[in-house]
Amino acid sequence: MGVSIVPALRALKPAVLTIAVGLVGLLIGFWADAAFFPATSPRQPIDFSHKIHAGDNAIPCMYCHVQARRSIAAGVPSVNKCVTCHRIVAKDRPQIRKLMEYWADQQPIPWIKVHDLPDFVYFPHKRHVQAGVACQTCHGPVETMQRVERVAPLKMGWCLNCHKTHEVQNGLDCWTCHK
Amino acid sequence: MAKMDRRDFLRLVGAGGVGVGAGLLLAESIKHPREHLIPYVVPPEEFSPGIAVWYNSVCSMCPAGCGISVRTREGRPKIIQGNPSHPVSQGRLCGLGQAGVHALYNPDRITTPLRRIAARGKGGFEPATWDEALSSLADRLRPLRANGQGNRVCLLSEGVRGHLALVFERFMEQLGSQRLLHYDFAHPRTLYAANERVFGEQHLPYYDLRNARYVVSFGADFLGSWISPVHHSLGYGHSRQGQPGVRGRFVQIEPRMSLSGAAADEWIAARPGTEGLLALGLAHRIVSAGHYRGADRDDWASHLSRFSPESVASETGVAQGTIERLADSFAQTQPGLAIGGGAAGNHTNGVDILIAVNVLNHLVGNLGAEGGVVFNPPPVVDSPRRQAGYRTLSELAQDARNGSIDVLIVSKTNPVFALPAAADFRQALERIPLIVSLSSFMDETTALADLVLPSHTYLESWGDDFPEPGVGFPVGAIAQPVVAPLYDTRASGDIILDLAQRLGLGGALPWKTMEDCLRQGWQEIHQRGAPGAGAESFETFWNSVLEAGVWGQDTRRTGHLPAVTARVIQDSKVDAPQFSGPADAYPFFLHPFLSNLHDGSGANLPWLQELPDPLTSVVYGSWVELNPTTAQRLGVSDGDVVDVESMHGRISAPVCVFEAIRPDVVAMPIGQGHAEYGRYAQHRGVNPLQILAPQIEPSTGALAWSSTRVKVVPTGRRVKLLKTDGTARDLGRGIVQTTAATTTPTGADHSAGLRNIPIKVVSA
Repeated sequence: MGVSIVPALRALKPAVLTIAVGLVGLLIGFWADAAFFPATSPRQPIDFSHKIHAGDNAIPCMYCHVQARRSIAAGVPSVNKCVTCHRIVAKDRPQIRKLMEYWADQQPIPWIKVHDLPDFVYFPHKRHVQAGVACQTCHGPVETMQRVERVAPLKMGWCLNCHKTHEVQNGLDCWTCHK
Repeated sequence: MAKMDRRDFLRLVGAGGVGVGAGLLLAESIKHPREHLIPYVVPPEEFSPGIAVWYNSVCSMCPAGCGISVRTREGRPKIIQGNPSHPVSQGRLCGLGQAGVHALYNPDRITTPLRRIAARGKGGFEPATWDEALSSLADRLRPLRANGQGNRVCLLSEGVRGHLALVFERFMEQLGSQRLLHYDFAHPRTLYAANERVFGEQHLPYYDLRNARYVVSFGADFLGSWISPVHHSLGYGHSRQGQPGVRGRFVQIEPRMSLSGAAADEWIAARPGTEGLLALGLAHRIVSAGHYRGADRDDWASHLSRFSPESVASETGVAQGTIERLADSFAQTQPGLAIGGGAAGNHTNGVDILIAVNVLNHLVGNLGAEGGVVFNPPPVVDSPRRQAGYRTLSELAQDARNGSIDVLIVSKTNPVFALPAAADFRQALERIPLIVSLSSFMDETTALADLVLPSHTYLESWGDDFPEPGVGFPVGAIAQPVVAPLYDTRASGDIILDLAQRLGLGGALPWKTMEDCLRQGWQEIHQRGAPGAGAESFETFWNSVLEAGVWGQDTRRTGHLPAVTARVIQDSKVDAPQFSGPADAYPFFLHPFLSNLHDGSGANLPWLQELPDPLTSVVYGSWVELNPTTAQRLGVSDGDVVDVESMHGRISAPVCVFEAIRPDVVAMPIGQGHAEYGRYAQHRGVNPLQILAPQIEPSTGALAWSSTRVKVVPTGRRVKLLKTDGTARDLGRGIVQTTAATTTPTGADHSAGLRNIPIKVVSA
């Protein structure tokens, strides 16, 4: 005397189908988030284009990021710095109007970090700039980007690879970066 | 395929929708949290992001006056270190000074002026504007001044020096009030008096530990809490290890081993209150053994006749042989230096004890000598001595009760906490119609105020300091703000200057801010003859002083030395310390000692709270130190809660069994037991000052805080005593190797000292 599992399967069919559809939805949702809200290229409060500034107009990186060669932080330009040019340049564009609103309110622009290292990593910009590492080595071809995107993985192995190939002095020492 | 009905369709759409939503949420949740890059609107000129800027200033966490260097990033102080150029701190700083950033960033700071709305002391305050607060205070002061009743105003502040002291002086003078008092619990009032009596000096001398080869300290925990611990530690280090082939010897005399006692070659636990007797016993031996060669030898011999080592041995609890050995080695190892203070200076005969210690310095001829007692030139900016002792504050309390005080302005001092409960200061304050507090924190005294005018911390204020005691030559330093004020607070000096403007006292106090006042004051210092003053402009001078963080002159005091005669010990009461409480009912001497938290002002700083006590390693809270034999007799061990009871009150704390304490002494740290003072200080431990007897040293009126007897009663309760140490015992592990005195080739003297160090109490 045998017991058939077929009736049970038949009874479960709607549930299985529901779960399957749910799982497919999960995948779609996950993919959509990565595709439309990428962590490597977040939407910024102002659609600032590095392509126009650094690419088309060939403004050197360190014209705005003045601290890179002498501080651990590259420094994001002050609102004042943007305004000094844009008082005259392209004043009627909608994005520049947005900038001028921040300036009128004397509020900083809350840029979103694209290249963010964990707090336990000591990364001095000045060391790298002074050693002649091009900005693009880590930041990618920023001068071609309409919206900045993180190209490099910024993981420890990736850092160490570069330290190895360039035979950086003490470049593989833990305390060089974790101090 | 089965036909799909409407319900199936809706179910699948629902499942799909939930799935997509869940997928989005999942993807978002595993993303690195979004961080912002906030630019400056207008970049500051003084610094660049990511690059540290160091500012030199002056520490005010204790009265030592160390120079500090503060590392700031993006306009925020990050760490405080000693200023290498400043002669007091020489690049070093103590834990209290390091913890200064916790005062600045403390979440319990008062952020805006407050006005009392509930019953006094119930904590009901409402915010007020500075203008409202100051004009309401000015309205109260104006008629008092106009009617010649200025003396009904009292300003009670922490010990201040330099131009802030000057501003306070002038303000009270203009109000027509004599009632300007400073109160610091740990101020060495008896030491000032003893030095004045022996040397005729208004200011403390410089104790040249650095060049001393032999130091005998009577109760002064100079490495931990006495006067200027950072500077003393530097001197001590040099004396011990800074000179090739020379190791300064150092003996500590105190009933409970302090940090200094632990560092000493020999620790002698004389009976509390007999330190002066012991000093005169040493003096007797120095004179009778012919080590003193002055012309007035016979005079000294006759005055010291009743203090022979033999006769003081039983009273002090130190063997005659030990006294003679100490006296001989002290007199023969020159330069030698005797210092006294701490608990030894705070007996009812404290001044006599410290006079006896000073006599030792005279007898071995180290007055004005390198490695001895070096007399300081007067401070560059001097102000009258205003430190109030217990008697003065009791008189103030009495005046308050009589209704002769209308306004009390309290500035950064906390007498409600740092006075014995027997003084009933709190109740006296409640009789004062208007109490104004200038404080950064809601401490016990501020909680009673009607008007709270929140002051800057020292890291946000302008000021200057002329260390007292000095370092043998004129030194001054300007304290500059190292950060923009974090809250709606003002510097104490600026508050007083603003009040002066409102009261029309601009003639005597013409400055708008303390910065103006300092500039003018330092202009005078510049004109008076700063080195190269003619060559440089005042601006250059000012900027260079700010940059260096210190200014000094390379001149030492010359001229004749004070003549010390044997008359200073004529009526000495070194043998008559008085204690509160009969010895049979209250068998133990209470020995309160200054802890990591200083006099309690450091209790709201988390770093200090979590710093283990250097001797017992106890962290957080209060404890009662008992000798193992005492603990055994009482049947208690670590963590047993006991009541410590004096004639004037009772407190409970857990026992910490501690080997380096006399069996008849009970030691408790000062600093805990705050009822107010913020989340880190409140409701933690007990305040031993509360049970002290209101005994004073009669010539100075200073509180004799080592002269209370107590009894110890086990309560039967137990708590876990938080200690970072394991056991103090060897337990057969051979950690402490010992050898018999007779087998050491270096001589019995050294090994006798070694044997005396950790556990053994020297007794008659």
